[in-house]
Amino acid sequence: MDNLTPEMILVISMIAVAVFLFITEWIRLDVVAILMMVTLPLLHLVTPAEAISGLSSNAVVSIIAVIIIGAGLDKTGLINKLVKPILKIAGKSQSNIIIAISLAIAVISSFMQNIGAAALFLPAIQRISKSFKIPISRLLMPIGFSAILGGTITLVGSSPLILLNDLIPSNLEPFSLFDVTPIGLSLVVCGIIYFIVFGRFVLPQGSKNIQDDLEIVSPSNDNPVDEIGTPYELRTPDNFTDYREPVRVDDLRKNYLVNVVALTEPPDTKIKSPSGDTVIRAKVDLVVFGKKKDVERMAQMEDMVLKDKLETFVNDIDSQTSGTVEAVVAPRSSFAGKNINSVNLQEKYSVTPMAIYRHGEIYRSHIDELPLQVGDAILMHGTWRRLKMLNTEGDLLFTTPVDVELMRPEKAALAGIWLAVSLTMILVFKIQLSICLLTGAVGMVITRVLNIDEAYESVDWRTVFLLAGLIPLGAATEKTGTAAWIAKTVLSATGQVEPIVLMSIIAVLSTVFTLVISNVGATVLLVPLVVNMASEVGADPRMAALIVGIATSNSFLLPTHQVNALYMGPGRYRSVDFMKAGGIMSILFIFVMIGSIYVFYGF
Amino acid sequence: MSIITISRGSYSMGKEVAEKVAEKLGYKCLSREVILDASDLYQIPEIKLIKAIHDSPTILDRIGGSKKAYVAYYQSALADRVKEDNVVYHGLAGHLLLKGIPHVLKVRIIADLEDRVSIKMKRENENRQEALDIIKKDDEERRKWTHNLFGVDPWSSLLYDLVIHINKFTVDDAVNFICQAANLEQFKATNESRKKMNDLALASRVKAYLIEKRFDVSVLSESGNLIIYAKGDDRLDEALKNLPGDIDGVNNIEIHQNISPHERAI
Repeated sequence: MDNLTPEMILVISMIAVAVFLFITEWIRLDVVAILMMVTLPLLHLVTPAEAISGLSSNAVVSIIAVIIIGAGLDKTGLINKLVKPILKIAGKSQSNIIIAISLAIAVISSFMQNIGAAALFLPAIQRISKSFKIPISRLLMPIGFSAILGGTITLVGSSPLILLNDLIPSNLEPFSLFDVTPIGLSLVVCGIIYFIVFGRFVLPQGSKNIQDDLEIVSPSNDNPVDEIGTPYELRTPDNFTDYREPVRVDDLRKNYLVNVVALTEPPDTKIKSPSGDTVIRAKVDLVVFGKKKDVERMAQMEDMVLKDKLETFVNDIDSQTSGTVEAVVAPRSSFAGKNINSVNLQEKYSVTPMAIYRHGEIYRSHIDELPLQVGDAILMHGTWRRLKMLNTEGDLLFTTPVDVELMRPEKAALAGIWLAVSLTMILVFKIQLSICLLTGAVGMVITRVLNIDEAYESVDWRTVFLLAGLIPLGAATEKTGTAAWIAKTVLSATGQVEPIVLMSIIAVLSTVFTLVISNVGATVLLVPLVVNMASEVGADPRMAALIVGIATSNSFLLPTHQVNALYMGPGRYRSVDFMKAGGIMSILFIFVMIGSIYVFYGF
Repeated sequence: MSIITISRGSYSMGKEVAEKVAEKLGYKCLSREVILDASDLYQIPEIKLIKAIHDSPTILDRIGGSKKAYVAYYQSALADRVKEDNVVYHGLAGHLLLKGIPHVLKVRIIADLEDRVSIKMKRENENRQEALDIIKKDDEERRKWTHNLFGVDPWSSLLYDLVIHINKFTVDDAVNFICQAANLEQFKATNESRKKMNDLALASRVKAYLIEKRFDVSVLSESGNLIIYAKGDDRLDEALKNLPGDIDGVNNIEIHQNISPHERAI
């Protein structure tokens, strides 16, 4: 066996320092990574060029590009369209949402890069967290883990598995695309069950920060959303205005406590936030906010047709373009002492006031006549653009942030095309991933799906530097022979053991390696070694190689996997969160993997 | 298709006018029935109710609010009776108890004191002084009652659409005027005005129920959406959750403890 060189000792020390800092979090993880990037060349463990090569690595550039593509898709509302059917099945329960999205992301990442699937879902998960008021930290980790686990469902799901057939000796039968599927599916199911059952114990509780987690805050305990209801679309029939007094927007509020937030004006104009005296005509579509029973009563009494879902206004009344916010009458506001009618929110700002909160009481009827007082909270609905305008006037203090980015639903088709271009380049032309994704990202910028500043802003630099800084550490481990030395030492120390013990050792070794060096590096290094070892103890060498290929996805203990690095910032996770939730996941992973390989293939 | 309230002093021929109007228009004529209804509905002896709504509130009444309760019961019974339209009501304070309803024609019949005294002397076989004293006392009682409960003077002509002095005008003249007025467009019931009448009936029913439970409240109903103006009381929520089954048409309830009641609240 080779001797331990001083370089190897230095590399092992550097890994120890990095892991120690990861665990203690004396300095932030991305800073630890940058520290490595700087220290390793100073110690002559890597060349300066190698030290910063992470910044130009295929993985990091791919991540930057895929985040930009994700932002573009989100901005145009495509992500929402993708997520809506999933949410329809899942309902509002946290568990169901986790199950539905985890399964979806696992399936997607079984055919494409895990990081790509994870980046595409990130904006969607953030929206879901916001609208269902589920702390984001409860969603991201389970879903991120599913993306990683999903990579083991097919042979093209993750880089180590793609490489596997090239690494095993030619006398062994190559793996086919779905050979890993039973194992991968077992792992995904195990991961989901783990988080559904134990999620509440292992995941951080999540921030109770009002600004981040709640869309609307109320001074009373009642949920204002319950009070103002949800949007419904109705249509007035042809004879709506025959033989009757005109029905005005205000009448509907007074009689049924429903607020009209939009209606059509024949032939094809859409009016947002119509004023109270707007007459409702025949053959128009209107959107109202109200409780179901009130809306149904109105539809019945006024002979309107209640539609099953938003149709005409489906793109106007979604959370991307408009929303319901709460704003408080500010001290010295010019609104104080006036009533809503004279403030004229509808005509001046095109926003619809729906309810007023005062001293814990909600006023829904007669709000237009109520003289406003400083401290009154007004619940209102409008487009983000209009609410933003109102916000800048300073008469109202918004308790809900309205600096929501403006959406560009009209660019949805372009965003979709650029995603398709990228995917075609990846899947059909087999061009390098980073270039394919950059093409899509640049395409989106050029066709103004998003502008270049928005593209820059969407990139999370914590993720970029965390990954870029750890790449030279992996390189140093391999280059100095440290990885090979460790692998050989561990495997030779095992001696003659039962196949199942050897397989377990291989699994643990792959898991540890993948945390520090890249999963591809770990696979390249370990597969030739374990194939020989397995042959020696009479175990199936193919299965030993397969274990390496799969176990290099067992990267949950530290946020060093690309997906975990990506989700760490938005989820506000700390290393300790990964150690806690990911530690158990890693152990389960090994058990389920060994177990299912044994059951499906034997050793 | 309207509701006519006829307010009158005692022995002013108002009853005769009311009955003839009802007969001529084919309307129902109401007065005492309302008291019977209220006494039935709220299980109060008729005599107590009559006394309560006739005499002005005593100091005790004002503290305990019992008079208010009786008026609430009465208002509820009245609103219930007249909401079907085509009614002439010549009982107590109809013009005040049915305020805000567009198709109510509010009439006041007055007569000279001397004429009233002579009618009373003839009918009750009393001497002049006796009759005069009783009529004066009665008028004073009504004035105080209306003032205490509604804050207005029943003799103010602004409270009425039509004030007819039976002197040069005969009872039949008065009947003709009233029937003519009742046929005017503005006193015809519309969907809107009927809805208001139903709302008033509902609000007064809910108010009577809450007052029975000893809550000091004002109530406004708009299309079955109730606003209850109350002084802080935690039991109110509970009481409203358990509204009696025969109160129907309530769609939503809002409770407000921090603002003064809307002018249309009762």
